[in-house]
Amino acid sequence: MSIELSRRSILKLTGLAGLGAAVTGCSTTPSGAATWSMWSSSPAERKVWDAFSQYVEQQLKVESIPTLTPSSGYPTKLDLQLVSGTAGLVTAVNGLLLQTYGARGAHRPLNDLIAADPDFDLDDFYPAIRKIATFNGQTYGIGFDVAPTVLYYNKTLLQKQGIAPPSPTEPMSWATFRELAIELSGPADQYGFTCAPAIDDLVSWIYSAGGNVMNAEQTVSTLDAPEALQAIQFVVDLFVKDKVTPPITNLVTESALANFLEGNVAFMQNGPWQVVNARKAEFDWDVMVFPAGPAGSLPRVSGSTFAIPSAVEGEELDLAWKLVKTLTSTGALDIYAEAGRNNPARMSSGSAFKPPPDNLGIVQQILAGKVGGGHPFDVTTNWNQVKQLLGQDLPRTFLGQVSVAEVVDGLKPRLDVLMQQHQDNIRQAEARKG
Amino acid sequence: MAVDTLPATLTTPQPPQRVARRKNRNRETLTAWLFLLPSLIGFLIFTAGPVVAAGVISLLNWNLFSAPTWAGLKNFARLGPDPTFWSALGNTAYFTFVSVPVTILVSLALALLLNQGLRRIAVFRSLLLLPYATITVAVAFVWIWLYIPHDGLINAVLGLVGINGPAWLIDDNWAMPALIAMSVWKSFGFGMVVFLAGLQAIPQQLYEAAKVDGSSTWQSFRNVTLPMLSPALFFVVVTSIIGSFQVFDQALIMTNGGPGSRTTTLVMYIYRTGFENYDQGYAAAQSLVLFGFIAVITAVQFLLQRRLVHYDN
Repeated sequence: MSIELSRRSILKLTGLAGLGAAVTGCSTTPSGAATWSMWSSSPAERKVWDAFSQYVEQQLKVESIPTLTPSSGYPTKLDLQLVSGTAGLVTAVNGLLLQTYGARGAHRPLNDLIAADPDFDLDDFYPAIRKIATFNGQTYGIGFDVAPTVLYYNKTLLQKQGIAPPSPTEPMSWATFRELAIELSGPADQYGFTCAPAIDDLVSWIYSAGGNVMNAEQTVSTLDAPEALQAIQFVVDLFVKDKVTPPITNLVTESALANFLEGNVAFMQNGPWQVVNARKAEFDWDVMVFPAGPAGSLPRVSGSTFAIPSAVEGEELDLAWKLVKTLTSTGALDIYAEAGRNNPARMSSGSAFKPPPDNLGIVQQILAGKVGGGHPFDVTTNWNQVKQLLGQDLPRTFLGQVSVAEVVDGLKPRLDVLMQQHQDNIRQAEARKG
Repeated sequence: MAVDTLPATLTTPQPPQRVARRKNRNRETLTAWLFLLPSLIGFLIFTAGPVVAAGVISLLNWNLFSAPTWAGLKNFARLGPDPTFWSALGNTAYFTFVSVPVTILVSLALALLLNQGLRRIAVFRSLLLLPYATITVAVAFVWIWLYIPHDGLINAVLGLVGINGPAWLIDDNWAMPALIAMSVWKSFGFGMVVFLAGLQAIPQQLYEAAKVDGSSTWQSFRNVTLPMLSPALFFVVVTSIIGSFQVFDQALIMTNGGPGSRTTTLVMYIYRTGFENYDQGYAAAQSLVLFGFIAVITAVQFLLQRRLVHYDN
């Protein structure tokens, strides 16, 4: 039997279909479901979060609905979801942005929930991630991963040059590191060292020199302090004077990992989260502790957390807290460790970094304070702005276009203004709490 | 005292023909409104609405996540002492006032060339239009490779003729010209197609008359082509200037505003202020100032068109 459709009925059906699609698109997630958002940029990552989701369903006996977004678009999507009230009960927040969200009232402090829950043991989390997850004396997120910057080295290249690998656990001095980098840069198209010409990598050297971007009270910038200047000058000299780094061709797409994977770079500064990518290298490599400056080996420690949006209240808040606890439980973080992508934030969880190569175990030892050291990445409530400002002017020193002193002189007053804005943000956050 | 009287139209019965004509006219008006409605709704929701909203937001302190507070004109007052705003405005003006004339010259030259009765004109037209039809993000990445200082194609070619090319995107003085060159390449196709359509609409008799009068090629171009092409020229100039003032994607991808702030454009600064620094009020104030600049420049162009643009009718 054939069905004849008139033009009018086709239009009607199209209209109904459109309406249906719009209703479906606008529909909210089922109430009682454990909704959470996370970044995920590869099938391998998706697999990990799917396993997390199954774990949540097993533990909480409710439907788990993760919203996975590629990491580059995650902050924008999270902003839109938070503003429109469509964010999940729990959202993953990078430690760099936790203060930004906390100060603007996007996420709620968790202290009351932690205090009312005798089962939850915050002390099981590494001290660094607890500091990263704190804003204005309150905990805004519970960590799921944390890791210090380490020094990767190309074992094959060192072997070829007849240089014995430095100790993986005893940090080299800056002087030794520089000598090695120069020595390994000998032949054409071979380089001693690579890192990003940006503040994210520079802070590890600044901390190791005993400096910081701002003072402890975060009221003024201390980038012009001798310690910070010494550190910046040391790294800039590696680029400009010693020329031990691959030439910078572009400030946007510059990638230390891509340089290292070429096989002609001896040392790379990076986080252990790049181990999964470094495994693709066609040469032998390993990691060692970050070189020690005047203040020791104090590379930046970064981490990520799960946080609860401020809009979550009532019964949903109970579920949200249970969800945070489940996503950051030892069981869930063991799944994370098993995937080998990054170090879990709990001390009781397994290690993500198992040999080979031989020295991967140092990541946990650094976090536990047994080897080398680390420094939580200190950020402000307007870190995006601070980073933009530093990202504009600092790279010019790496290109040799301007001197370090000149750039820092120009940056200092503008950074001080941003520190004052940061203090204003804190005051406003306190007034809102008020 | 005069007695009030009703107007004649209300007291005297109207002839049935006039009533029918009026009904017809009303129906036509209604139909016209119905046809206009989708576009009008779109305009109100996606253009007029956001402009009005930007006006309101510019008077607020709003960080997106918590309740806004009244700021009055404070956000506009912040513009004066903000060096980044003025530097971004200067960069945008530099980009606009160099890229627009160059793009128009290239577009016009190619349109004139294609109008010479070339065989397979459609093929050339399509090929030349290709950059315009390609996504800016993809094109930007290709140009990043072309601009690589040591091994990039551009410097390799320059090296063949003994020129040591600059570091392009990471050079203080060359980053903006490099962006402009890419943008000209990306957008000349649009102007070329509009100019070509305009050229093909110029009646041949005008050229024949000019020839009879003994005009040279340059005189024909100056006195026939340019005046007859002036409406198309005006359209391309207006749209190009508006588009150039809103330059964003290529600068973001190719230089991220650097080196230093040499290629930070106004729209890039507005985006960062609003969506990375969560300062919506200040971003809205900047947007309105940009809107004002574009409106003034466009208004000046419309005033000038009365003297410079020649319409057939």
